[in-house]
Amino acid sequence: MREHLTLGIDVGSAAVKAAVVRSRAGDDATVLGTSIQRIRRRELREVIEAAIAEATGGRIANEDFDYVATTGEADAVEFRTGHFYTITAHARGALHFDREAAGALDVGSLHARAIRLDPRGKVTGQRMTSQCASGSGQFLENIARYLGVPIEDVGELSRSARTPEMVSGICAVLAETDVINMVSRGISTADILKGIHLSIAGRLVQLVRAIGIEGRVVVTGGLATDTGLLTALQECAEGGGARKRPGKAVNVQFVTHPDGVLAGALGAALLGAYRHRQLEESGRLAMLMGGAEVGG
Amino acid sequence: MSAPTDPCAPLLARAEALLEDLSLHGVAAWKAAHGGAPAIGIMPVFAPRPLFEAIGVLPVNIYGGGDRVDVIKGDAYYQSYICHIPRSTIEMGLGGQLDALDGMVFPSTCDVIRNLSGMWRMLFPQKYSAYLDLPQTFEAPLGGLFYRHELSRIAAELVARGARPLDADRLREAIIVENRRRALLADLASLRAREPWRLKASEAYLLTRAGAVLPCAEHIELLEAFLAAAPERPVRAYDNVRVIVLGAFCEQPPIGLIRTLERSGCDLVDDDFQLGLCAIDGAIPLDEDVGDQSPLDTHDPLDALVLSYTLRGQATATRYIADGVKGEALVNRVRTLGAEGVILAAPSFCDPALLDQPMIEQALNDAGIPFTSFKYAENSAQFQTIREQAGAFSDSVKLWGAA
Repeated sequence: MREHLTLGIDVGSAAVKAAVVRSRAGDDATVLGTSIQRIRRRELREVIEAAIAEATGGRIANEDFDYVATTGEADAVEFRTGHFYTITAHARGALHFDREAAGALDVGSLHARAIRLDPRGKVTGQRMTSQCASGSGQFLENIARYLGVPIEDVGELSRSARTPEMVSGICAVLAETDVINMVSRGISTADILKGIHLSIAGRLVQLVRAIGIEGRVVVTGGLATDTGLLTALQECAEGGGARKRPGKAVNVQFVTHPDGVLAGALGAALLGAYRHRQLEESGRLAMLMGGAEVGG
Repeated sequence: MSAPTDPCAPLLARAEALLEDLSLHGVAAWKAAHGGAPAIGIMPVFAPRPLFEAIGVLPVNIYGGGDRVDVIKGDAYYQSYICHIPRSTIEMGLGGQLDALDGMVFPSTCDVIRNLSGMWRMLFPQKYSAYLDLPQTFEAPLGGLFYRHELSRIAAELVARGARPLDADRLREAIIVENRRRALLADLASLRAREPWRLKASEAYLLTRAGAVLPCAEHIELLEAFLAAAPERPVRAYDNVRVIVLGAFCEQPPIGLIRTLERSGCDLVDDDFQLGLCAIDGAIPLDEDVGDQSPLDTHDPLDALVLSYTLRGQATATRYIADGVKGEALVNRVRTLGAEGVILAAPSFCDPALLDQPMIEQALNDAGIPFTSFKYAENSAQFQTIREQAGAFSDSVKLWGAA
């Protein structure tokens, strides 16, 4: 089977992630380059271009890719070949990180999703946090800013907590009020952060439980490398965590990967390669590529 | 380098402006330009537009208020488990948004529309209000004659209110123009099925929906202009899943919902959003040989109009026909269009659409065609859940060939 060169672009609400992958229809993958670009106040197209330039090292033109796969809010990537839905891309990304993965937990800036997958990476169930922001990365980032803690220090600081203080797991507004009260009561920053992690983790474990995942769950998305959250997730999974209302244990092991934040982009790139082979075999590739830039 | 311009953009912008003209300013302008000729609202699903055009009446298809009418009074007229379209229609009527209309025709769509016709009569006694009983018996001597009588009755009632007398030549002319429009709509559907990236479902919706408020000849001009310009559109094909959307019945999905489905990786190659448009298959059989349909004869334009309904009615939710026929028709459409899946999107509380769904699902299951289903309301504003569902569906079909 021939090799496929694919580009995956994950346009999230806070950052654009890109990954360049060489694989054989998604298997035997080698990651050639990656990029994570915070959007901040930049124009989205500019951020996407910067992410691609960094991931490719400026050495691969868009038209040299067999498949450019997007995920997230990717309407701005007009040269894409195809688009994969967020949960599909994260499921494939999780499987890339851990061949034994039974699920993925994508914790992004605005939403969190628990995803159950089969050995091929097909999504067999999913559950997403509903309207409230208190289970999201943006909330944690806001709290870190209020507390004057660099976001990269949040995880280890949380792990050093001794008596975590629980915050509201229902509402981000109430949780922020809780934090203000804790600061005025002299609660340590570490205990506040741990309480927030446990609050988020409690909600996320409920999602995992709701769709019946058992086994290894890969944490992906923007909070994938937050060691404090990972510890809190495992504690909640084992029935601990929330001091006042311990939950039922679930049979899962949360794992992560240094590139967990890139799961969407990597997953999209791998699915793009898989899809490219499908299109080739079905004879539809020529039609798709033939109609790729017509008229005008 | 600047992006290439889309020659169809002004046409689509005009069509979208017509969709958003809930107060029917365009209809009022037409009336002013035609010496105050009557304009009649037609509720879904179906009434033959050439009949109205032949007597100098502008037929205006009313599809409720969509997502831009805040329903307050309308809710007082219907219990909570009734669909949304009658509420917003009442709201528009009471709010004066339908003042440009001289009356309303209520086809026999369902019990809710029947009730609406009664309410309309009481709420607006000075306006014309008619219930059009569409037959569910399709033999010419029975349902055919009955339907002919219904059409004659409505024409006569409108003539008594200032419309031109029904004249065979003018009806013939109106049918010829309508057939031209139908042929163009078929061309549009064909283009969309062949190159869904050149004509998106949301764009096709706008173009067809424009025909709800435009005189037939003007709609033809719009369609011809679009079809002529379409080959020059700067477009790009994406690796999407070819999907048919079915189940809209009379309450229309917000245009945002259609765009949401498109953004979830689906090429919507066919739909039944404006069910009345596909109530009849092909042309009105004026002067055609359709076999013995006595006492009706296609050389009589009114008979031809009747026969188009009795002979060429499509297997949609509006028809009370044998089990299996509608499912088989859908499976055939899927095969003919090369669709890879079906999205069943029905309005909440729409009995006729939802009652058909189990049979449709059975047929799809038997044929091994992946499908997913959800419900919507015309005023749905949040599409995230639908996007999740449609996105997961399109990925599943694309990658694994199953829902």
